[in-house]
Amino acid sequence: MSTTTLPTDGFTPAPELADVLPPRKERSRLGMFIHRHPTIAVGGFMVIMFILMAIFAPLLGTVDPTALAPAKRTRAPSEIYWFGTDMLGRDVYSRVIYGSRISLIIGFAVAFLSAVIGLFIGLISGFIRSVDAVVMRIMDGIMSIPSILLAIAMMALTRASVENVIIAITIADVPRVSRLVRGVVLTLREQPYVEAAIASGTRMPTIILKHILPNTFAPVLVLATFLCASAMIAEATLSFIGAGTPPIVPSWGNIMAEGRALWQVKPYIVFFPALFLSITVLSVNLLGDGMRDALDPRMAKRI
Amino acid sequence: MFAYTVRRVIATIPVMAVVALFVFSLLYIAPGDPAAIIAGDQATPEDVERIRESLGLDRPFLLRFTEWLFRVLQGDLGVSIFTNLPVSHMIQQRLEPTFSLMALTLVIALSFAIPMGVLAAWKQGTWIDRLVMVFAVMGFSVPVFVVGYVLAYTFALQLDWFPVQGYSPLANGFGGWLSNLMLPAIALGSAFIALIARITRATMLEVLSQDYVRTARAKGVGQRSVLFVHALKNAAVPIITIIGIGFAALIGGAVVTESVFAIPGVGRLVVDAILRRDYPVIQGVVLMFSFTYVIVNLIVDLLYTVFDPRIRY
Repeated sequence: MSTTTLPTDGFTPAPELADVLPPRKERSRLGMFIHRHPTIAVGGFMVIMFILMAIFAPLLGTVDPTALAPAKRTRAPSEIYWFGTDMLGRDVYSRVIYGSRISLIIGFAVAFLSAVIGLFIGLISGFIRSVDAVVMRIMDGIMSIPSILLAIAMMALTRASVENVIIAITIADVPRVSRLVRGVVLTLREQPYVEAAIASGTRMPTIILKHILPNTFAPVLVLATFLCASAMIAEATLSFIGAGTPPIVPSWGNIMAEGRALWQVKPYIVFFPALFLSITVLSVNLLGDGMRDALDPRMAKRI
Repeated sequence: MFAYTVRRVIATIPVMAVVALFVFSLLYIAPGDPAAIIAGDQATPEDVERIRESLGLDRPFLLRFTEWLFRVLQGDLGVSIFTNLPVSHMIQQRLEPTFSLMALTLVIALSFAIPMGVLAAWKQGTWIDRLVMVFAVMGFSVPVFVVGYVLAYTFALQLDWFPVQGYSPLANGFGGWLSNLMLPAIALGSAFIALIARITRATMLEVLSQDYVRTARAKGVGQRSVLFVHALKNAAVPIITIIGIGFAALIGGAVVTESVFAIPGVGRLVVDAILRRDYPVIQGVVLMFSFTYVIVNLIVDLLYTVFDPRIRY
């Protein structure tokens, strides 16, 4: 009996599946990814755009962001000065475009440094009980100092520079990463596969590097993304109140700090850097949100 | 309960000790010569020497730290380099505006965020839910001072509903106090609203899927009662926890908000001190705010048993 012709004993044969189900949508791999993780796609795309903007700043119709032109100060946005000029006649558009470099450098540097240092401290205190007691008390103490104030205190004692801003924000962020990593390590070391590795005589460094470390990457990556976003806000905040990057550096916080005195009459000096900062931070946060949901929905509780 | 309270209070002592030690050590950890940096570029070597002496940098670390700690415990935060006034006195004079701002912010944030979170959880998956979540992400991403400028520009400069800047003490009347603080409190509250609304939504979603909520519905309890009595009560603990943790951001945000709206509070004091490199003032403010933060979180811990009698220690 053939399978295609069914016996016609009074019943209508069932229609073939292809007629009932809608045709399968053909999606490319990129299309699949965007469909599954829209927040990662949108956030990632915007972050890449900002990175390109920072890299190709000189090609985007900008002039020297530090060039003074006192005769042309506080011009309103026009065809020549897209975002106007500031109190010293500097082109706000060029300063905002170049400012993305400072924000991105500080955001990425803080995220990277606090992730690496936090991983190291977290792994050690998760494994060595005697170290844990002391280190975690210190971390609790640092976390009890509101991070902006900690950075203000550090910046008051050092010369204003991009490096010092990075160090000041990183010190406030390291405890957050190390607490997270320590928590992950404490859960993992009770797992049967780790016990098995210990029982079969695997040496400690191997266990940490091969069995524990890879499992901390996902949560650390997500936390580092959020730290990157908050570091950008922290830099702008510090520069805005005069405790950040040196005033000569065209960072978004500095542009706003300079526009502060005139904001009631020339709001555009503050407006454009504020807009760029907000959108950049938003894209990094979207990326972080998307990655958190994609990697592990349960993580929402911890970060 | 009493034993637990005592234990929790004692547990904050090492944290506060670490805070004090860390804040104090900053003078020693900082790269370069802090005395020279505080003195500024135009300082003579004598000036630098005088500041080094007044900060006690010429004496051994442990000796200095013990002396300093004893004085801090007596409420003596040192003397300002710029005004020569006691730091504790300078802070005290500026406490009212700062605490007014924080209190109003908390009231505004809670009265917006909790209904928003509850609503989003109730209407999960609808456009209302999505709108709340979009607002939550935005609230995290837009810096406090940007929100401040946008509000001040729109509602003070253009619409003239509120004063642009300044502060009016509570003693001079409630109306002036409120209208001066309204915009700063909303600006400062935006990130806080986002934080609390998000947690409220997440916790409510979890609670609403519990059996006792279904039972309550089955026996005919109304929607409002289910949401605000049965569910919200059980979602209280995570919400107050996030308020405690978020308090650090509230303190940091207050410093900036006071600068935007020219409020003569502790935050403004610290910003002025940065420009003058008046380190004793900065150190004093950092210590005061950090201890406040530790105490707020102690209170949050103690509140757990009030909000959730199932928690026993």
